[in-house]
Amino acid sequence: MNCETCQELIHDLVDGSISQRDEFTLNTHLTECLDCESVRQDLAAIVGFCRTQRGHYEAPPNEKALWLRIRNAIEADSSAGRVVQQNRRRSFIERLLGHTWELSLPQLAASAAAIVVLVSLATVVGLRRWGGYSVEPTPVRVEASNINDRVWERQQVINYWNKRVELNKARWSPDMRETFERNLKVIDQTVADSLNELNRNPHDEVSEQMLNEALNDKLALLKEFSDL
Amino acid sequence: MKTRLLTWRPLLRAGFLSVGALLALVSSSLAIQAQQQLSKHYPAGKNVRIELKNISGTITVESWNKDEIRLSATIESKGAHVVPKQINESLVIDVMSDNRGLGDVGDINFKLQVPVNSNVDLETRRGNISVANIRSGLVRAHVSSEGDITLANINASHVIAQNVIGDIFFDGEFSSGGTYEFKSNKGNITIRIPGDSAFRLVAASPARRIALNDFWNNNFKTQDGRKYVGDVGDGRSSVSVINFSGQITFMRR
Repeated sequence: MNCETCQELIHDLVDGSISQRDEFTLNTHLTECLDCESVRQDLAAIVGFCRTQRGHYEAPPNEKALWLRIRNAIEADSSAGRVVQQNRRRSFIERLLGHTWELSLPQLAASAAAIVVLVSLATVVGLRRWGGYSVEPTPVRVEASNINDRVWERQQVINYWNKRVELNKARWSPDMRETFERNLKVIDQTVADSLNELNRNPHDEVSEQMLNEALNDKLALLKEFSDL
Repeated sequence: MKTRLLTWRPLLRAGFLSVGALLALVSSSLAIQAQQQLSKHYPAGKNVRIELKNISGTITVESWNKDEIRLSATIESKGAHVVPKQINESLVIDVMSDNRGLGDVGDINFKLQVPVNSNVDLETRRGNISVANIRSGLVRAHVSSEGDITLANINASHVIAQNVIGDIFFDGEFSSGGTYEFKSNKGNITIRIPGDSAFRLVAASPARRIALNDFWNNNFKTQDGRKYVGDVGDGRSSVSVINFSGQITFMRR
């Protein structure tokens, strides 16, 4: 068996859907090939992790029925909305067309002036918005929550690798453990400093870049030490 | 009685000293015996590539005037394996794979002597990396955690030096169209290059410790001293330097 076939079969093995014959051939290959065995261990760890995390998203007892009810409710809502909208549009158009437009000269002049003012305002707003000038800065709270969301997402991946490191840490020498902790602390400090700076100034590009770099470094450190 | 004690005391002292010296000698010889020494020679082709992945220990690479590679290693632990593989024109040493499942294998210190045009790709979880006198396409030195990186007299079109804790020193030339990346979390980064070097620089240090010295010009754009972006000369090579808390220094060679 070559490594390519083996790695295709590893998925079946981890899922538990492998045939007995394939399982025997695969196990024979895995005892001989360290790379494939490493792939199997990684995949098993990821699947195991996902399975343990499933508790947070327990499926309802009758999942299909629930989805059907949700879909029906959405479809019913949207079709009702369409009918109301069509009615509204029709009545407005009818009213517009049914109206007789008889304007005096001052009324006509006032209407023209109002149109000019409206068009000018729209042009100014449009130029500022699409010409690179923002009228108002983006709300600080929205920016901050975006950063926190991104950090939270990265943190989930970091947590996974952290668990793998914790599993293997006992095998390391005390010296290696100290080295790891010391380096992790340095990176965590950078993450904390960058986050503090971003909380003060959410538009700070340098701090955002530093935060991304530090999170990448943390992930790399965890990945590389998880192999030990 | 008193006289007798006085006569015996120097003799006792001498006895203790000699026993101590003997014990020290025995323990050091045992330690040397526990270490393994490895020395191998490999023929080198025209495009040599050295790929070394260590776990812990120092790595020293330097060029010599021979068309062969000499690998020597001091292996601290008796149970550790080092199995170099020569594949085509590459010499691959993967300590991680060679010792998978063996637990902690201690320090392994490598010294490699290679032809001057060798591509060098070095990695270690911790320990110093030193590369000297190389003129090739690639010099990469990656320390996952702590260790100093010294790249001396390097002329390569692609250079990467990265660690978490430790100093990075680059002394060499930036070749036209080349890319150069230096990154540390806590340590000083010093770049020593010829005065007529031409490159596009992006340097960032939240600690505001960037000294461009002779390479400063008015075209540099800065974000309150934490980041500098600009061209030196015609900017024909690309240089990126990131240091979270240490100093970034450019020096004329």
